Amino acid sequence: MSRSRFLLCLALVSAVVTVALIAPVSSQTTPAPKSGGVLNMMLREDLSQGFSIHETSTISTVWPAMPCLNNLVLFDPLKKTESVDTVIGELAEKWSWQDNYRNLVFFLRKNVKWHDGQPFTSKDVKFTFDMLREAPDAPAKLRINPRKDWYANIEAVETPDAFTAVFRLKKPQPSLLLMLASGYTPVYAAHVPPANYRTTCVGTGPFKVKEWRKGEFVEYVKNPDYFVKGRPYLDGLKYFVIVERGTRQAALQAGKLDVSFPGETTKTAAEQLKKAVPQLVITPYSQNVSDNIIMNVKKPPFDNLKVRLAVSHAIDRRALIAAVHQGGAVVGAALPPKPWGFWGVAEKDLAGLPGYGAKPADEKALARKLMAEAGFAVEKPLKVEIVTRAIPVYVDMASFVINELKQIGIDTTLKQIETAQWHAMATRGDYQIGANLTGIGPDDPDANYYENYACGSPRNYSQYCNEEIMKMFDAQSQELDPKKRLALNVAIQRKLEADAARPILDWKIDYFTVWPHVKNMIPHQSIYNFGRMQEVWTDK
Amino acid sequence: MKTYVVQRLVIALLTLLGMSVVIFTLLRLAPGDIVDILFSTAGYVSPSEKQAIMKELGIDRPYWVQYLDWLHQIVTGDLGKSYRYDQPAWEIIRPLVPVTLELAALSILFAVVIGVPTGVVSAVRQDTALDYLLRVFSLAGLAMPSFWLGMVIILGLVTWFAWIPPLTYVPVGENFKLHAVQFLLPALAVGYRSSALIMRITRSSLLEVMREDYIRTAWAKGQRGRIVIWRHALKNAMLPVVTVIGIEFAFLIGGLVVTETVFNLPGVARFLVQAILWRDYPVVQNLVMFIAIVVILSNLAVDMLYGVLDPRVRYGR
Repeated sequence: MSRSRFLLCLALVSAVVTVALIAPVSSQTTPAPKSGGVLNMMLREDLSQGFSIHETSTISTVWPAMPCLNNLVLFDPLKKTESVDTVIGELAEKWSWQDNYRNLVFFLRKNVKWHDGQPFTSKDVKFTFDMLREAPDAPAKLRINPRKDWYANIEAVETPDAFTAVFRLKKPQPSLLLMLASGYTPVYAAHVPPANYRTTCVGTGPFKVKEWRKGEFVEYVKNPDYFVKGRPYLDGLKYFVIVERGTRQAALQAGKLDVSFPGETTKTAAEQLKKAVPQLVITPYSQNVSDNIIMNVKKPPFDNLKVRLAVSHAIDRRALIAAVHQGGAVVGAALPPKPWGFWGVAEKDLAGLPGYGAKPADEKALARKLMAEAGFAVEKPLKVEIVTRAIPVYVDMASFVINELKQIGIDTTLKQIETAQWHAMATRGDYQIGANLTGIGPDDPDANYYENYACGSPRNYSQYCNEEIMKMFDAQSQELDPKKRLALNVAIQRKLEADAARPILDWKIDYFTVWPHVKNMIPHQSIYNFGRMQEVWTDK
Repeated sequence: MKTYVVQRLVIALLTLLGMSVVIFTLLRLAPGDIVDILFSTAGYVSPSEKQAIMKELGIDRPYWVQYLDWLHQIVTGDLGKSYRYDQPAWEIIRPLVPVTLELAALSILFAVVIGVPTGVVSAVRQDTALDYLLRVFSLAGLAMPSFWLGMVIILGLVTWFAWIPPLTYVPVGENFKLHAVQFLLPALAVGYRSSALIMRITRSSLLEVMREDYIRTAWAKGQRGRIVIWRHALKNAMLPVVTVIGIEFAFLIGGLVVTETVFNLPGVARFLVQAILWRDYPVVQNLVMFIAIVVILSNLAVDMLYGVLDPRVRYGR
């Protein structure tokens, strides 16, 4: 073959390859959104508190109730990342920080109507947030108020006119905006008793409740009066309650359902689904849920830092991820690391912290040394009961931990606690050591620290209390420079792990699965914040 | 006969009263209550808020007051309010009942249609290849749990046909074909297991009857085999079979938990488990009482059938 002919052939092959590479990309270009169609989705249990998001922390309520409601602000449904830069207005058209982050002013949308036809005003905003922060003159009270601590820094909510609401803060807290952007923070109607949200939903959201057949399904229809013109795209939503996991997977595989449940699909399940239906679109993202060890620092032997550190050193996080999650999790400290989260400690920076040594055998040797210093050895083991919730995801992890602890002279027996008893037992501190899971709403340090590590917080199950750390929590919360805040957070997380306050074992990854005709359904960094469905459309 | 029925109904009432005590006590003995569950979904516990909710639901009152209150509600036809859904318990229970009754009835129908003829054939062809084959078939039915069989059916359908039955209840008036499919598959899964039991009972009972003198007499009189077996032998062999059918039906009313769960049918049993997990006392208590009533009535019906099948059985003397 002559040189020129060879070059010609090469050019032709290159052209063909280039076209082949470009063609799929251009065919994948997102087409213009279409209106119409109904999206079918799954629930693993019925709505636990109806549509009353403010009275619960479970995704089983937040996910199916979000389409009915709106926040003042929300994380942009079309962006994966959740940060100050991706917060968009919902009921608030715009907002402004004033007085060095001590006043947050919201300018509300006009002509917004509740689903019962009543107009939305600043009165509804004041009603909701006075109720949430349990202001002395609040006109209503929630039966259960799990996120009261989120709003502890709000001194007053003022309404100078019908379309302006001012949040006056006790001290600067830029991250308040992130908590307001969470799916956990909808605005309730002032003219509807909060208890009514347990049975029905009067919202301003893109969809109106058509029917909630208990134990069967929740059905929504498009809100024709929605304040965002042209939205939602879908005519309706239907959430089917399917208790059996195998049936849920089969329904998704058969195309009866369009979308998986957030936090539901493990790596193994995703691989099986992909094998059965190759066209399914699977997106790994952070569940914002960690596996962790809770140790009661108020009770022996875990009041001894050496014993707590020994536990932390003993557990090989990477082996746990491989064995229990088949690789479907990542190591990290108190907050999920990049790219799964924003504030976490990167894997390279974890080196030197308990449990993150390069060689697990060295870590175990160190743990045995610490146990020996505390008066225990493999021959003279420490005998304790490890508690966990009687749910497979907890028990699997606890079983792995038991085996690890045995190798350093901690002889543990597993005690499974029924869900009905779990949180009550943990809050009371009626345990010595436990294998626990913790979910966080938005990917923000405040939402995590004040809830799970702050002195006196009911969800601080370890009862760890450190005034020095509390000051660091406040300092990072008030820090306006994101870089400085990130540095402070890395220091806090290293300190929490060094104190074995609540050793984090891993951050779980969900493999969110949708059929290819489902568009604009973009999982975020947290399972709790992307259920509005306003932008979702179907190409079916 | 009338006296006997009245006597049985009086005994049934006493049984139900006893049942009510047992149900009420067992529920209270189970650790935790609805308030614990509510806090569990919120992820924390506040003792003062817990007390307030207990008061709101009336579960802070002494147990005997709660028990008498429940009895009063039953007598007045008001079944109380579901703690979980904040709705009258009857409104929640009512749509579940026909689903479970239909599934149980269909399952029993399948069981009888499959179990009785195969039992008869197996007895008549005792120790032949056909008998062995049918016995293996029945043993397989007993060995396979119906929920496993149900899951295999679902997985088979999705793998081979990329299809599964409807995910919500389809009323018969809305779409008969879908309704039938929705019930036939789970009924088949459950009915197969029950049919195995019925087949074995029918076979052993028929074998015993066929060795009776009056059967030998019938054969000696030259009656046709079909007459001897179906009219003389089977009728007398049916007493234990009917008993088993009655027990199976009663069992199915509360025992369809996993089948209803696998096929996602909104029946009594599936809902009962959820209600127990939520410690939704009004729903659990009334659902269990409903199951108890069905068990008692089906037993009464079986006893009445004895008189029809065997003229020697007389009531009320």
